[in-house]
Amino acid sequence: MITFAIFFFFAAVAVIFAAVVVLHRNPVVGALSLVASFFALAVMYVLLEAPFLAALQVIVYAGAIMVLFLFVIMLLNLQHQEEPRTRPVQQFLGYTSSAAFGLALIYYLAKFGVTKLPDGPFVSDARTVGIRMFEAYIFPFEMVSILLLAAIVGALILSGRTGAIPPPTGENKL
Amino acid sequence: MIPTHWFLILSAILFTLGVCGVLTRKNGITIFMCIELMVNAVNLTFVAYARQYHQIHGLLFVFFVMAIAAAEAAVGLAIFISLFHHRHTIDVDEANLMRW
Amino acid sequence: MHGIDWVDAGLSGLKIAIVLGAMLSVTPIMVWVERRGSALIQDRPGPNRVGPFGLFQSFADALKFVLKEDMLPAKANKVLYTIAPMFGLIPALTTIAVVPWGRPFLLPGGRLFEPIIANVNIGILLIFALASMGVYGIVMAGWASANKYSLFGGIRASAQMISYELSLTLAAVSALMVAGSLSLTDVVWRQTGSFVLFNTIKLPAWNICSPAMWMSFIVFFVSAFAETNRLPFDFAEADAELVAGYHTEYSSMKFALFFMSEYMAMATMSALITTLYLGGWDVPWYNEPPNAFGFAVSVLAFVVKVSALLFVFVWVRWTIPRLKYDLLMKLGWKVFLPMALGNVVLVAWFIAKGWI
Repeated sequence: MITFAIFFFFAAVAVIFAAVVVLHRNPVVGALSLVASFFALAVMYVLLEAPFLAALQVIVYAGAIMVLFLFVIMLLNLQHQEEPRTRPVQQFLGYTSSAAFGLALIYYLAKFGVTKLPDGPFVSDARTVGIRMFEAYIFPFEMVSILLLAAIVGALILSGRTGAIPPPTGENKL
Repeated sequence: MIPTHWFLILSAILFTLGVCGVLTRKNGITIFMCIELMVNAVNLTFVAYARQYHQIHGLLFVFFVMAIAAAEAAVGLAIFISLFHHRHTIDVDEANLMRW
Repeated sequence: MHGIDWVDAGLSGLKIAIVLGAMLSVTPIMVWVERRGSALIQDRPGPNRVGPFGLFQSFADALKFVLKEDMLPAKANKVLYTIAPMFGLIPALTTIAVVPWGRPFLLPGGRLFEPIIANVNIGILLIFALASMGVYGIVMAGWASANKYSLFGGIRASAQMISYELSLTLAAVSALMVAGSLSLTDVVWRQTGSFVLFNTIKLPAWNICSPAMWMSFIVFFVSAFAETNRLPFDFAEADAELVAGYHTEYSSMKFALFFMSEYMAMATMSALITTLYLGGWDVPWYNEPPNAFGFAVSVLAFVVKVSALLFVFVWVRWTIPRLKYDLLMKLGWKVFLPMALGNVVLVAWFIAKGWI
């Protein structure tokens, strides 16, 4: 009973804060809401018997990636950058098509989705996951490490002020 | 025990919100955050099915998705910093040099 | 889930009450220690008027905080400005739940009393997950104050805490590899007993005494200072450069909450250092009996170790001046991260050779 209450509470938290991310004009509020949404998803992972993954979700997403987002937003002083409301037709099409897509998704999930409960508990502690990771997925694991290295180098090259950057011309758009 | 399809529906709602944000917003970083939201919705689906079928592969996929999302965030934010240095805005409508 | 074990629930409540009481009393005690300690180090009397040795100074401070006006800057984001101090308190208060603070013993009814609030098998990961949420309190406070100095403090804090969290986690990995478990209970059990070094000295089996672990201890210890924003790494609030950093605009109880969370974070970090490297509740060269006496002795040992570390925090603050910001980043990324990584390899080699 209490697990159902936890599920509905955190599902509501995840959805409401995700909606704030989509609708709020201020990117700082959006980023903080996304953190709340990710935290609620970590609770979902606990309910799905994957506490190890829940901790990783909070450490990696809420603790590292979203801090990076906030850091960039604050560093570029974007919090005052309100978007002008232009192109109403495209906006309308965006809302309606995504709503239609979502309704279709939920309809087919409810119609063809899995409805029977899984049998028995699911063991997903760090030991099991680690052994499987380094037995079956060692090659993708190494590939991911190379990918991360490439990402570090790429991020440094893209964001480093190596070349001469022209001074701001005209009025500052901030 | 909570049925798996409830998690799937939650994931569908979150994914839809992400799609909606990507389609309607123009602030580059907000669009990027909506992409992260979609990625997380997919992660939830992976974990839900992993529990349903007792397959630990689903969890391992989530690890890889997380690692790739971290790489993507680093590079993507670097691109936006670079864009901001050149155009002093991260409105994606302004980055239209390559547009036909 | 049918039928709640009321004895168990009562014991849990008791444990929570003990830990919460200890954590909440850390702040007044530490305020006194810090003020008198700084006076001792700087050769001046320090606050000595309120009560004997100025012992009631903390209560006078608390009263002052309560009576001050609660300011709200005109352009502040009200919601975030209000919840930011609370956010700072959450990680400091919650992470202590997975730290064992005494030797388990059998109660008269044959029930095992484990002095830990939540014995979860992902203990240390939970600590790092909750600790990583601590940065949001500072970032929110810095941004919501609508003040340039506050914002700089928030940006500095986010960069600093992310950088040092990496070395902190990697240093802890070594301790976890030795224990072979993510649970802090196992980490402490691994460190009980003693070993003989070079057939001469009998050392307690603490991680810090192991030749493979002292490097990771140094990394963890120094990173703990950076994580708790204490001098010499207090760039988030560097008072000579940023007025008071992220809490410039805060007053009254909201400021007091930041103050409390700083000292509680210090206490949590000390408890973590004790657990990972200093043997937790283990009394050196002594085998605690599994009864109430052993429990009492082990709790005393734990409290003594944590208090000693807290004093070191104060001692360092008033002895070492603040670094430059670029030096801080250089230290974190170019010295501590390689050191922690190298230590992981070293420990793996020791384990493979069977020396640990």
